[in-house]
Amino acid sequence: MPKIKMPRSSPALDMTPLVDLAFLLVTFFLLTAQFRPEEAFSVDTPSSMSQQPIPTENLMTIIVDSTGRVFWDFTDKKVRAEVIKEMANRYKFQLTEEQIVRFTNLNAIGIPAQQLSAYLDLDSPAERKVVDQQTNGIPYDDANNQLLDWIRVTQLIFSSGSGGKNPLVALKGDGNANYSTVNQVIRIFQGPTVKINRFKMITDLEESRM
Amino acid sequence: MAQVPGGGEEGGGGGRHKKKRAKKGNTHIDMTPMVDLAFLLLTFFILTTTMYKPSTLQLTFPVPPEDDQPKELDKVNNALTLFLTSKDQILYYRDAYKPGETQLSRTNFKDVEKMLIELNKPTIERINSYAKQLNEKKITELAFDSLKNEAQKQKEALFVIIKPEKDAKFRNMIDIVDEMDISGIGKYAVQDTIKPEEQLLIDAEKLKF
Repeated sequence: MPKIKMPRSSPALDMTPLVDLAFLLVTFFLLTAQFRPEEAFSVDTPSSMSQQPIPTENLMTIIVDSTGRVFWDFTDKKVRAEVIKEMANRYKFQLTEEQIVRFTNLNAIGIPAQQLSAYLDLDSPAERKVVDQQTNGIPYDDANNQLLDWIRVTQLIFSSGSGGKNPLVALKGDGNANYSTVNQVIRIFQGPTVKINRFKMITDLEESRM
Repeated sequence: MAQVPGGGEEGGGGGRHKKKRAKKGNTHIDMTPMVDLAFLLLTFFILTTTMYKPSTLQLTFPVPPEDDQPKELDKVNNALTLFLTSKDQILYYRDAYKPGETQLSRTNFKDVEKMLIELNKPTIERINSYAKQLNEKKITELAFDSLKNEAQKQKEALFVIIKPEKDAKFRNMIDIVDEMDISGIGKYAVQDTIKPEEQLLIDAEKLKF
């Protein structure tokens, strides 16, 4: 019987389209990826079916982590700069231009006002992270309610810059935080000076249901 | 000595062929390593990316009254009071609190959805019929929203009062507010005022588990 003839042509393929595609995808993923800012605390938000997206501007976020520490965050840099100036004024500490710039570029802040200046002197993110891990968050008890001041100052500065509008408010709580802690924050929201009765709660999108 | 190939020939000069001839070599490059690399990167990025999709849940609290005493909401017909307690348990009673008569029942976060949907059936059916009309393009989205709101305000619609206990978790509250959206309940309120007589009932019920 005659042997089956094997084709002599080389099995090499033209891989150019494959390379094109692969690099296109790599480029796409690289360019569309947004790095999650590293935060000093971990907040594991509960999940919900709600699909309302989170606003990206004019948003004040109050964060409660699982141990009950409270942090403040605001999206717009201009407002942040004014807020820290006013806080320095209220709590009688001095800030340099450099410290203000550093503050505007940071994310959530959970440092008592008395230690803010020292905190903003720290150069490296690693050093700040150590302080962030040791801090007790913004005090919010009746005797020393700095959280109320943060919220009030943010409201005042935002509304003076935007014709009387109020900033959006979001509450980002860890699922394992005690309700009583969160409730204290909600009570501060509803207090007579800030009067926040509508706010958003930040959750993860739940996909497994339906 | 290291020399650039071809340079020597020119340096020698006087070659017969003065014209440089382009090499007719094979222009195909083996692209396999490049493909390997590209897909390796691709796989790496896909695997290390975590999708982070935060969403928000709108919550509106009633404006607190001027005087300090928070007012207990009137429990008209079709009220349901839910107590969120520790260990992910829910205790509840229907309608207004009647001393001596009111008994707490117990449920959990898995079963509560079924119960809410059952209790809120007339409203859900009404909303579903509006949704059908919306799908058939008989009504606009705006009209649907207002009809839905209207249905949720009807007398037979369920009215839920959520009272998280001190040792409940924040997750419990989010879950139950989320259930309100799922089961089409428009009238609900989160309150932190647990009356002493209600607390007694809760404590008694807790002893059982």
